[in-house]
Amino acid sequence: MRKILVPIKRVIDYAQKIRVDPSKGAQGVQLKNVKMSMNPFCEIAVEEAIQLKEQNKGAEVVAISVGPKQCTETIRTALAMGADRGIHIETKPDVRGDYIDLQPWAIATLLKGVVEKEDAVDLVLLGKQSIDSDCGQTGPLLAGLLNAPQATFAANIERGDDGSFTVERETDTGTETIKLNASGKPAVITCDLRLNTPRYPTMPNIMKAKKKPVETISLEDMVKELGLDLDEVLTPKNEVVEVYEPPPRKEGETVGSIDELLGKLKEKGLVA
Amino acid sequence: MEYMNRIYKLDEYSGVLTCDAGCILQSLHDYAEEKGYLFPLDIGSKGTCQIGGNVSTNAGGHHFFRFGGLHGTVVGMEVVLADGRVLRMNVDVSDDDNNDDCTHRFQQSSASLRKDNTGYDLKQLFIGGEGTLGIVTKVAVACPALPTSKNVALLVCNSYSDVLQILKTSKEELGEILSAIELIDSNTMKFVQKYGSGIGDHLISELLSPEAEAADKQPLFILVESQGCDQESDSSKMDAFLTSLYESSTIENGFLAQDSKHIEEIWGIRESCNPSVARAGYVHKFDVSIRIEAYMEVAEEVSDALENANLSDLTVCVWGHVADGNAHINIVSGQCDKDAVVQKQLKICILFSYEEKWLDFCGTRHWTIEAQVHVTNQGWSCLGAHVTDEEFI
Repeated sequence: MRKILVPIKRVIDYAQKIRVDPSKGAQGVQLKNVKMSMNPFCEIAVEEAIQLKEQNKGAEVVAISVGPKQCTETIRTALAMGADRGIHIETKPDVRGDYIDLQPWAIATLLKGVVEKEDAVDLVLLGKQSIDSDCGQTGPLLAGLLNAPQATFAANIERGDDGSFTVERETDTGTETIKLNASGKPAVITCDLRLNTPRYPTMPNIMKAKKKPVETISLEDMVKELGLDLDEVLTPKNEVVEVYEPPPRKEGETVGSIDELLGKLKEKGLVA
Repeated sequence: MEYMNRIYKLDEYSGVLTCDAGCILQSLHDYAEEKGYLFPLDIGSKGTCQIGGNVSTNAGGHHFFRFGGLHGTVVGMEVVLADGRVLRMNVDVSDDDNNDDCTHRFQQSSASLRKDNTGYDLKQLFIGGEGTLGIVTKVAVACPALPTSKNVALLVCNSYSDVLQILKTSKEELGEILSAIELIDSNTMKFVQKYGSGIGDHLISELLSPEAEAADKQPLFILVESQGCDQESDSSKMDAFLTSLYESSTIENGFLAQDSKHIEEIWGIRESCNPSVARAGYVHKFDVSIRIEAYMEVAEEVSDALENANLSDLTVCVWGHVADGNAHINIVSGQCDKDAVVQKQLKICILFSYEEKWLDFCGTRHWTIEAQVHVTNQGWSCLGAHVTDEEFI
């Protein structure tokens, strides 16, 4: 195995309470002073890449992220888990990665360029979706753009000696097993929850990670290098019309007796 | 008391939260968080305990180190005395509908003020008073602003002298953002692995790896938490702190939480200590304050004392708020035949409970007893069947 590319995304930490200011319209999600971390599904993808690397000596794991300068921290986490090097496509601070500005189509287009530029990429492992936009589109779009075989919602991945990948994927009714044959194109697989449990970065690995190379390149420069159109990339294909918090759950009513309960149910027309 | 569970208000400028004594601690945390504040008391049982009880027992908790105890954070309270008089000390009752029903008023105030220096600070007698002087019915607690950045690490050390170094270094490198330091010994961690709820299993198996087991090491595990308001600056402080510990070989290894899930797991392991040990067998619990320097000598001395008394098949577990010098020492007696257990328990009781001996045992080591020694429920009922009053006393 040669290279495994793992695109990772820096998102609002899953445990944070999201606050929305509707007066700010579609831009109203409060991002200031909010804890950010690596998208949980991306973490699973990094873990899988490292496990595959451990099973296939000589494989190189490259973590890549598109976002503001703080993304380097997210890439360092991937390096501390065991990735070999990082690529940071740096965006200006006001560019929103949570579907407002950058959307899956733009990311997939950039990733296609990087895959072709890197060459020798055998596998692209992505999280099945990001927890801010919940699109689940980047993986499939990338596979389409590359004309590459894909498997989504992977719960188990086995690599064959012939370079094929056998993937068990989650479906609504159970599990489906499909085989991605070696095709000269990288296999594109998106990772689901059951695939693995991501490791904690340990002190020795955190120390090693500081010395691993991270290439930082601005979005503008990368776009130029890949021969793409900056406007095309930054103009979202879909417009977010409104962002609002779900209506608060109405508090239940406590009743004093069974008779009272029956009375209330009759009142609401739920019982004859 | 559980019906008296109203939260009156949280003053947005002073941060003082006023509520009934029957409020569940977790609900106070949730309410304060909504308003951008942090309730300063945090203990493992927060899902079920009531603040009135916490105040009456002067509960310490995980963040005693950072925010101080209830003697400092409780700014006002209402208590009902034995003769029925209601004593109000700096607590705002303007929202309490039952205000006018009370015909006996010893003292009356109309606001939960952040600072009240008038007269004797009588409320201090009720904090930790265990209900002996009056029942706490309302409290006013000063809450700090909610920190927006939290970092948690679990460190592995080979000896207690390394732990002492961590305590020093953390104050230097983390300084004002240091919010908790907790210690868990190997015996406790093994019980958590065996009897815990499963939270943090993955991490525990790395901590108690077969390699470490084979090397016959008894590592000590230290949880370090920082809370501040600037994630970038706090992360870089935490990074400098861990790097300095690792490079000086003070720690053998360390695990840094990367996201909320890791933070929950690491704290989950710490909070599993008590329930896990309770499931391991019959437990004798000691909650003591010790000179920080001598913290781990406790386990050794207790083990020695037990051996000298010919009590075998006992595991001494130590965990607790090491930065406060507060240790939870638990002597676990394995599952064996009931009679043998009872006899053992009786001897432990006599060894450690008999006041003179206990005070003697503690006094020479400069310990103080924070909580009474007690035997688990099963133990008491067994003891009753086997021991006469004279024998026990």
